Amino acid sequence: MSSMVKQAQQRAGLLQGTLDMLILRTLLYGSAHGHQIGKHIQRTTNEFLQMQHGSLYPALHRLEKRGWISAKWETPPDRNREFKYYRLTDKGRKQLLVEESQWKQMSEAVARVMWPVVEEN
Amino acid sequence: MRWWQIKKRDEDLERELRSDLELEEAEQRENGLSPEEARYAARRAFGNAALIREQTHEAWGWANLERLSQDVRYAARQLRRSPGFTAVTVATLALGIGATTAIFTLVYDVMLRPLPFAQPDRLVTIEERVAEWSNIYPTLPVSANHFTFWQQHNRSFDSMAVMEQGSVPLGANGRPLKVGVLWATPGIFSVLQAQPLLGRAFSASEAQPGNEHVVVLMYDLWREQFGGDPGILGKTVLLNGFSCMVVGVMPQSFHMPSVQTLATIGDRNRVLPVEVLEPLAFSKDTLAEDMGDLNYFGLARLRPGVSVAAATADLDALQHTIGASLPADETATLSVALTPFQELLIGSNRKPLMMLLAAVAGLLLVGCANVANLLLARAAARRQQMAVAAALGARRAEMVRMALRETAVLAAAGGGLGLLLAAGIVPTMQRYLPPALDFRGSLHLDWAGAGCALLLAMLTTSLAGAAPAFMVSRTAPLEVLHSESRVASESRGSRNVRRILVGIEVAMSVALVLTTCLLTASLVNLMRVERGFTTERTMTATIDLPIETYPDYQHRAAFYKEVLDRMDRLPGVEHAAITSILPLTGDGWVDMARVAGDSRPFTQLPLESFRSVSPEYFSTIHLKVLSGQVFNQSDWGRNLALISERTAKTLWPGKDPVRQQFSRGDPATAKPFTVVGVVANARTISLSKPDPMLIYVPYWYRCEPEAGLVMRTRQDPSEMADAIRQTIWSVDHNVPVPTVRALGSVVADSLANQRFEMDLLLLFAGNALFLAGLGVYGVVMYSVVQRYREIGLRIALGAQRVNVYRLVLRDGLLPVAGGAVAGVALAFGLARLVSSLLFQVSPYDPMLTAGAVCMLLAVGTAACLLPARRAAAVEPMQALRAE
Repeated sequence: MSSMVKQAQQRAGLLQGTLDMLILRTLLYGSAHGHQIGKHIQRTTNEFLQMQHGSLYPALHRLEKRGWISAKWETPPDRNREFKYYRLTDKGRKQLLVEESQWKQMSEAVARVMWPVVEEN
Repeated sequence: MRWWQIKKRDEDLERELRSDLELEEAEQRENGLSPEEARYAARRAFGNAALIREQTHEAWGWANLERLSQDVRYAARQLRRSPGFTAVTVATLALGIGATTAIFTLVYDVMLRPLPFAQPDRLVTIEERVAEWSNIYPTLPVSANHFTFWQQHNRSFDSMAVMEQGSVPLGANGRPLKVGVLWATPGIFSVLQAQPLLGRAFSASEAQPGNEHVVVLMYDLWREQFGGDPGILGKTVLLNGFSCMVVGVMPQSFHMPSVQTLATIGDRNRVLPVEVLEPLAFSKDTLAEDMGDLNYFGLARLRPGVSVAAATADLDALQHTIGASLPADETATLSVALTPFQELLIGSNRKPLMMLLAAVAGLLLVGCANVANLLLARAAARRQQMAVAAALGARRAEMVRMALRETAVLAAAGGGLGLLLAAGIVPTMQRYLPPALDFRGSLHLDWAGAGCALLLAMLTTSLAGAAPAFMVSRTAPLEVLHSESRVASESRGSRNVRRILVGIEVAMSVALVLTTCLLTASLVNLMRVERGFTTERTMTATIDLPIETYPDYQHRAAFYKEVLDRMDRLPGVEHAAITSILPLTGDGWVDMARVAGDSRPFTQLPLESFRSVSPEYFSTIHLKVLSGQVFNQSDWGRNLALISERTAKTLWPGKDPVRQQFSRGDPATAKPFTVVGVVANARTISLSKPDPMLIYVPYWYRCEPEAGLVMRTRQDPSEMADAIRQTIWSVDHNVPVPTVRALGSVVADSLANQRFEMDLLLLFAGNALFLAGLGVYGVVMYSVVQRYREIGLRIALGAQRVNVYRLVLRDGLLPVAGGAVAGVALAFGLARLVSSLLFQVSPYDPMLTAGAVCMLLAVGTAACLLPARRAAAVEPMQALRAE
């Protein structure tokens, strides 16, 4: 019980703040609906990031409100019903670059603390 | 975001979630699960859909709105569960807010609403000051002579006008219609910056005698009497017996306030609204009168940027010039008094209105305290619930919101109902508008009133909800949950707050009750004051003779004599008489009597009020003749006079006034009057003060077109109304008889304003008293329930029922006594505001003060008795066993 809680917290912590970036990055390949986005993130991380719908949908709608992604109901060719497809906007593309570089700086900074390069003295 | 957009987006979200859930389900099926298992797996993977929606809403930024509607629903559900509490609270708030809004609307209309003219702040009224007469008449209307001089020489005004208001018959066939008329110099149009809708304003030549028979109609009269005839211009109408050509029609938006001058001051009868405008033309004689003829209402428009003080200085200088050139027997020190038009119209209505507003605000405060009290008791009963919420992690802000939402819903409901109540009350207050200000059409609740109601609702929410919210925000869950009693007990702090609230209620109520008592006592005193005449079985009528058929004193006197002769022959009539003005309907002709041998300039002579009456006047209203006798019909044509005792003592101190002589005007030319009798002092102008010096002259000496008829009957006077009209019309069918009333009701009507104030205060005080009683009852009852076990224990240990009663009463009456003291202090503090409204009552009257306090104590005791009885009936065994 307690280990499960811990695990969930670990994942949630990892996800926080980066979910927006992950969604934007996922949409770089092309438009996708909510389910596809969630599944893609889950699969690419080898199920390490368990998508929680409770954070996915608010995030999607938040990004839409900020104008980084746009949404449209469309019918995919292989199906006979509509899904809500999200697409990256130009503004979103720029934002992705910003977030990416921020993330890079952050992880490098963390790495320098965690695994310091031993300098010769 | 609009609500329908919200709804659409929410539907969209739901559709999205549903479709993705189905996809997940299909995927699970492809993984080899049975349809049933697949659905559960999908649901599990998805989590709580409602939560997802809520979180997404938050991302949209309308969580607040949603929370608000949730709050309202929740509060409404809670309130439905306690209908009694809800009803009392909403009714209290509705009454308080409604009454305050209604009174505020009245105050706003009278004191704050700008007059409906362009730049109304530049309109000022002009009155004259004559230093020699200032002890009796601080200001006087304007003289035509002075006005003409000002008009030529002033540097402060854009335009000026003088005017006079009255009423005249319109038309001739059958009984003519009586219309209100304003005679004004042509400047009136530019002073008010008003132009006719049709036709034109008066020309300067139309203000010359002989050319003045033109008329401008007001819109309503044009619509109602002439069917809005677009070709009315150039047609003639019969006005006061003269053919007058219609030259203009004013627009619908133009309304003229009533402009009363000295002749009508104190006139409590409704003045007819102005329906026609006629030019005021001054004859050569009038213009030559350099100190007489102080008769007209002066109105002027200041030049932009000129202050009232500068304009006053300007006119004062002109007055000085006029004063310097007066002949020796008329020397007078002249100056002017300028008053902003609106301020003059408000006049003496300011104080009563402010008092009513203060009173109704007091009532609202009592209501607020009561609601706060009820809310506190409710909050105390819910401590357990709140403590659980706090223990489960509810934030402090969240809990305050929970406490406030109920108050807010109550205030919204109370405010809404109050608004409806005010909308219902306001139109009925029309007749209490001062006549001078009742010219803007019907009174109704408008945006100012609605804004006031909204503000009050918000104010009451914060006032009444503050204490409970504060209490809730300080909930210490551990302490509450540990307390052994299941019946949540109230904290000491909360109980003290409740006592203080009851104290406030009582204080406001005492102040209200005391003020009401004072005003009631004043009214009783006014009704009981020795007025010097009687009203039993006495009828009155007013008569308006058309000037055309009755152009002079002789014609009018002959008409009245004929009417009186026929009246005397009516069965059941004891006495009938004519008077220039009916008692308590105003003052009239004011003049100076010069005692034979007195050679002072006439400006230094004392002023007297004159009445022209028929001989029977004194016996009809039982005005006592102290010495000498009354003139009679056989004296027809002779200049005789009766004088009041006060006049006798002033003009002939220490002498017998009978057979003394005086004259009005120039003694060299005017025929002197001989005093034949002395009449007792009375109160025929205002009940609140003794009459000034009065002189009664016979009606054959002077007869105005308007007169009053008084008649004393042997039987029920109300049956005589028709006979009076028929008798007058039997002499001349075309004479209007505007009113026929019992003298008693004329007297009562002269106090209509005071009665209105008293009625309202009585209503407010009654309500405040009831609410205070309710407040006391609530607090005491609550504490009895709380102390159930304690009381049981006391009785078990041998306390007598009497002791229990004493215990409860002491508990309940403590805040009442404290509040009563504060209330008396408050009322005494406001004494200065109230005292000018009182008549022969001191604002510190000990009997009335004691009475008001006793009344509150009685109400408080009554409110304590029920809980006390319940306490005394506690069965000790039951109380102690009960947990």
